[in-house]
Amino acid sequence: MSATAQAEQRTAPAERRPRVLRGLPWLVWRQHRTAFWIGIAMAVVGSAVMIYQRAGLTDLLHHAAQPGKEGADQAFRTHYDPFFQDASDFLQSLPALIGVFLGAPLVAADRERGTARLVTTQSTGRNRWIATKLGMAAAVTLVCTVALAAAFTWLWEPAHLLLFGGDWLGAGVFDITGPMPVAFSLLMLVTGVAIGMLLRRVVTAMAVTLVAGFAAQVAWDYVRPMLATPRVLTYPYGDDHGIDQLPQGAVQVDNWISTADGKLYGFGTCVNDAHPDACRAKLGIVNNYVEYFGYDQMRGMQWLGAGILLALAAAITVFVLWWVRRRPM
Amino acid sequence: MTDAIEARGLGKRYGRKWAVRDCSFRLPAGRICGLVGPNGAGKSTLLGMATRLVQPTAGTLRLFGTPVSEPAVLAKSSFLAQDKPLFTRFTVAETLRMGQELNPGWDQALAERIVRAGNLSLDARIGTLSGGQRTRVAFALAFGKRPELLLLDEPMADLDPLARHEMAGLLMAEAAEQGTTVVMSSHMLNELETMCDYLVVVAGGRVRLAGEVDALLPAHSLVTGARSAEGVPPELARHTVIESHTTGRQFTALIRPEGRVGEDWRLSTPTMEEVLLGYLRTPDAPPLLTPSARVAEEGQSEGQREGLGRGEGAAA
Repeated sequence: MSATAQAEQRTAPAERRPRVLRGLPWLVWRQHRTAFWIGIAMAVVGSAVMIYQRAGLTDLLHHAAQPGKEGADQAFRTHYDPFFQDASDFLQSLPALIGVFLGAPLVAADRERGTARLVTTQSTGRNRWIATKLGMAAAVTLVCTVALAAAFTWLWEPAHLLLFGGDWLGAGVFDITGPMPVAFSLLMLVTGVAIGMLLRRVVTAMAVTLVAGFAAQVAWDYVRPMLATPRVLTYPYGDDHGIDQLPQGAVQVDNWISTADGKLYGFGTCVNDAHPDACRAKLGIVNNYVEYFGYDQMRGMQWLGAGILLALAAAITVFVLWWVRRRPM
Repeated sequence: MTDAIEARGLGKRYGRKWAVRDCSFRLPAGRICGLVGPNGAGKSTLLGMATRLVQPTAGTLRLFGTPVSEPAVLAKSSFLAQDKPLFTRFTVAETLRMGQELNPGWDQALAERIVRAGNLSLDARIGTLSGGQRTRVAFALAFGKRPELLLLDEPMADLDPLARHEMAGLLMAEAAEQGTTVVMSSHMLNELETMCDYLVVVAGGRVRLAGEVDALLPAHSLVTGARSAEGVPPELARHTVIESHTTGRQFTALIRPEGRVGEDWRLSTPTMEEVLLGYLRTPDAPPLLTPSARVAEEGQSEGQREGLGRGEGAAA
């Protein structure tokens, strides 16, 4: 008994604080704690600011709706546009930031400095090592992005008709609300890990991950409008108020003109003709034909998109686990 | 007694090139074994396979009876890579805590004793330590695991003479006290001569020489005499000639005598350095394994023959 107490006393200076984490999770936290803490701090501050802004925003929208006040649109533009612009820029770049600063160095640093050989030759082995690293980085990413995405979505929803003129598809709102930031961040995280694992150099891996992030963004711009079937609104050609029938919050994706039996012509057909009316009459064009996504379609599209990104992330994760298991360290 | 290392038909191929091929040898427990060979001979690959960093392509490798295909084998050995990687931002105490967190058999008192013997503060950051001090911490981490087998890849290569002397002393003392079997690859032949009682020489991915120093050295003779004609004199050719050279009118050869050597020749027992140099100069010399280093014939797998049992065939 007294021998144990003595032994504990002797080792006391080495462990001043109580041990919360043990084993590999302790090591992974200790090794990456700077990145983890920066992520958590950004999530806490960012979410707090958004939650704080929400009270003022609902107040403003409520008052602006009263008669005799400037319209909600005008008030929003003056008081909240800059803030939303900044928040949107931050959330848009979040997946790339996570991929570059957390994902890319996660394994690359260990391979570059040789510490991968040090850690994987301890009694725990490499499978648990890579699983713990990926798991903890993914957990921190998940917690931080869920907090930020939830706070921003909550803030944005009352103003969804006002921000970027209500365009939730093209202007970036789609990618920074709901499950999208979480899925995109997890995908970029594992992409960064895989790139770092293959390249073994931290700086190179970070640069390549950044480029991969841009490439993913460009590709995603093509995928986004394919996540649901657009709805169609037709109204008589020349009816200036026909477009008002578009539901609130809808986003137009395409404009055509059409004949009575639904044959489509490009929007500019006959516009430059010498006799536009005669030209249209000859082709039988009688309707405007508008394709749009309703606001109620947004959530479904986001979850489908997030599902696709998460499936990709899962595939890359499997590849990383397989590679670490098979290849020399 | 179980052998510390038993390799049977062990091979590793990178692409088309075999880094290690047809490797079969044993290392009895309790030895300090030097692993010698020219650069690219396969030493690092051998150590890598023993530590599960590299997967063998053919054959089997067991540490104290446990095949390296089982993750449990990791607990039996400590490995010190050539560049002695440590986390530079960790303190010494955190580095030892890593050993404690990742190894069930960790001996904190032993690790701390090794660190303190070098007058190192536990709060010092690894990045601020000198090469010798870092090596000491790496040794503390390696011994704290209480390994049965300690594998060292060029442990002294980057140390100044003082640190080298100190670390060699530390290694020998701790290995003796803990009864640890040690395998160290090295290019420093004089260092091996003072430390090792067992040798494994590899060249071209194959084992050329393996066994107790006490048995290997007397098995060789250094013969000198007057040169009579070009090439190896016929009366020496009936012995196994490892290496020979002519300086002026004097002919010198390292041989494994088979029976008596003629009266005209002066014979002497070579030093370890002379034997090792002889084998390093002649990578395709006929191999010599003492009985304790030889593996039993019955288990020798397809990997032994030219066709090579690729992968699992040999493992069964």
